[in-house]
Amino acid sequence: MPLIEIQNVTKKFGSFTAVDNLNLKVEPGEFFGFLGPNGAGKTTTIKMMTGLYLPTAGHCFINGYDVHRTPLEAKRSFGYVPDQPFLYEKLTGREFLHFVGGLFGMKYEDVKTKVEAVTDLFEIGSFMDKRAEEYSQGMRQRVVLTAALLHDPKVLVIDEPIVGLDPRSARLVKDTLKQKTKEGMAVFMSTHLLEIVEELCDRIAIVKAGKIIYEDVPGSRIGQLEELFLELTK
Amino acid sequence: MRELLVVLNTRAQSFLKRAFELRWQSVLQNMASVLIFGGFAVAVFFVSRFATDYLLSQAHIGLFLFHRFLSMLLYVFFITVNLGNMIVSFSTLYKSQEVSFLMTLPISHAKIFLIKFVDNFFYSSSTLTLLGLAMLLGYGSYFDLPWYFYFFVMFFVMVPFMLIAGILAITSLMLLIKLGTRIGFRLLLSVMVAAYGLVVYLYFNATSPMKLVEDVMKLWPNVNDYLGYLDPPFVKVLPNHWVAEFLYWSIQGDYARALPYFSLLFLTMLGLIALAGLMARRFYYESWLAVADLKEGDAKPGVKKPAFSFGQGILKPQWDALLRRDIILFFREPSQWLHLLLMFLLLGMFLISLGTLRLTFDQPAMETVAFLIVYMFTGFLVTSIALRFVFPMVSLEGDTFWCVRTSPVHLKRLYWYKTMVAFTAVAFIGEVLTFSSVYLFRHDVLLAAVGGIATLFVSLALVGLNVGTGSYFAMYKEPNPIRVASSQGASLTFLGSIAYLTLVVAVLLVPLNQYFAGIDSIRQSSVQWAVTPIAIIGVLSIVVFTLSTSVGLRAIRRDA
Repeated sequence: MPLIEIQNVTKKFGSFTAVDNLNLKVEPGEFFGFLGPNGAGKTTTIKMMTGLYLPTAGHCFINGYDVHRTPLEAKRSFGYVPDQPFLYEKLTGREFLHFVGGLFGMKYEDVKTKVEAVTDLFEIGSFMDKRAEEYSQGMRQRVVLTAALLHDPKVLVIDEPIVGLDPRSARLVKDTLKQKTKEGMAVFMSTHLLEIVEELCDRIAIVKAGKIIYEDVPGSRIGQLEELFLELTK
Repeated sequence: MRELLVVLNTRAQSFLKRAFELRWQSVLQNMASVLIFGGFAVAVFFVSRFATDYLLSQAHIGLFLFHRFLSMLLYVFFITVNLGNMIVSFSTLYKSQEVSFLMTLPISHAKIFLIKFVDNFFYSSSTLTLLGLAMLLGYGSYFDLPWYFYFFVMFFVMVPFMLIAGILAITSLMLLIKLGTRIGFRLLLSVMVAAYGLVVYLYFNATSPMKLVEDVMKLWPNVNDYLGYLDPPFVKVLPNHWVAEFLYWSIQGDYARALPYFSLLFLTMLGLIALAGLMARRFYYESWLAVADLKEGDAKPGVKKPAFSFGQGILKPQWDALLRRDIILFFREPSQWLHLLLMFLLLGMFLISLGTLRLTFDQPAMETVAFLIVYMFTGFLVTSIALRFVFPMVSLEGDTFWCVRTSPVHLKRLYWYKTMVAFTAVAFIGEVLTFSSVYLFRHDVLLAAVGGIATLFVSLALVGLNVGTGSYFAMYKEPNPIRVASSQGASLTFLGSIAYLTLVVAVLLVPLNQYFAGIDSIRQSSVQWAVTPIAIIGVLSIVVFTLSTSVGLRAIRRDA
């Protein structure tokens, strides 16, 4: 069973069609890259997958649950990292993680144990007890990624994960994501960075004007992805 | 000058586009705004007309005393505009992202100040301007004044009057921020809160309305004569006195004596504008930098172990997480807890003033009116608290709402959580106020019980209304709760709340009058008189609550 399934999804804003009859599937352990120029409908698709937008037509399934009909079950199955990692400015990173853990129904002690474990993994211990208003973009992204992985989701939906990260943090994130897919997690990643796609993704789709115009394994066109992307999206 | 025009033109275009947007939702919203604001203005007009007519034709208090009352009302108005501008200007002039952007452009700091001052003044004074105009029309209609009188008074008397209040607020704020860098902002804020309380107390203590009434009434029937010698000397330098004097002489056609007050008002406004320009040149950028430093300084306590944080709780994890988050965020945001402190101070002042008033009358009608005024004021305070703290609750989910919306929390449950928290707090404050005020009014258990039950329903309706409309008009991009609570949606909610409160008072009017007029045996043996009004208030409140909640629940599920 695919962990992510998007069936005939359309999203219209007034007369403008942002996503047009989109279909795709992502299997367990698969790292899926979702590419497209600005305004192609990538973030809109992600927002429908995560329950932030209601599709005008079609369905999004996560782990077999319809995101809009059985939202709670679907949401327990995925973690989400938005493109803009907004945090509560007056909460510390640790407090934010406890808050998110609480929302996922985790007990305080369980969150505490989990936080201790991931603190080392993402090297966030040095600023965990400072308020988010002091954080840089990279720090925020690492805290949000930690929060998304806190409840051991089966699916990770991630919008532009590397932007704003220094090379060391970027390496950490890439290694973690790769490891998670080996453990069976499905990762759905939207990005503009083609070298990241070539390095990490098992399969890609290029979207333009709300429609998938190309779907393949990036390895089949190694080194030619940029050319292909520019050709298809011009 | 060119860059100033470019910025103002862009803002005007943006405003017009928003105002005349041809989407059914915004058209509907604008129509509703016009209807509610219009209805409110009409109501204020009639109240003003009735009050003028009653005081001059029925109570015969005379023109002098009437204009002294008007002066006191204008003083409260002045302080409200002043305080509103000061609170809102802190976010518009110092914390807005637009200012941060403008500061990077080759525009002088004084011009940025001017742009944001205009923004601030319109933002925080527009509802009060409407209120002022409606009151003026009500007042003028009694004297049958010509149309140009209203035009002149509104634009050349009231606008300068409000500008004086606004400029004083904004220039004081600049200086206070400078001072705050030396003495510390916490101390400064405490001093400011105490100073505002003191200014209001000293004014009413010195003008002593009761003594003034007695002094004027001794001179009966010559109460229309000018009795300026009764004024304490300090009031002569206050703008509210100038406006009252201008009106006093103008309505009698003595423009020669009205003119100096108009000149004083207008010249003061011009002088203050010039002073504000000079001060902005000298202090605005400096104070803006001080606030930026303060924001950085705010972050320092984060390294200390906080007094209250996440931990083992007795509630379910989701409720516990939401409640702890809200408590922490509330007490780490100075604009939240300081405002609450200020509101508690006002509540305290209200109860102390109530304790000093003589509220027992021989006539049942007077007793009923006195009780309902006290109750209405209590309701008004509860309304203000609900508007300031409950209305912004949904908006305060802000940019971080993604985090809750993508977690397995049902939005319906989140909505009910907010409603329950708000209701607990508002009902508690409302009950404390009601029982205290009824106790100070008269030691009457039955009256306290009726007031208490009515307040419970009022709290339910006001919380439902504020959470519902707060969700419908949610401003997720606005991080400042003060701006959310002074937005157009909040103004509509306020007017709706006042209309609802007026209905509650109207429902209580006749039964209470009968109660106060009734014989002792009826008072003690029967509670029948209270059943019908309480039932009506209950039904009315539940209708308001249900309608608002259904609107709010639909709105919170909108695409984010």
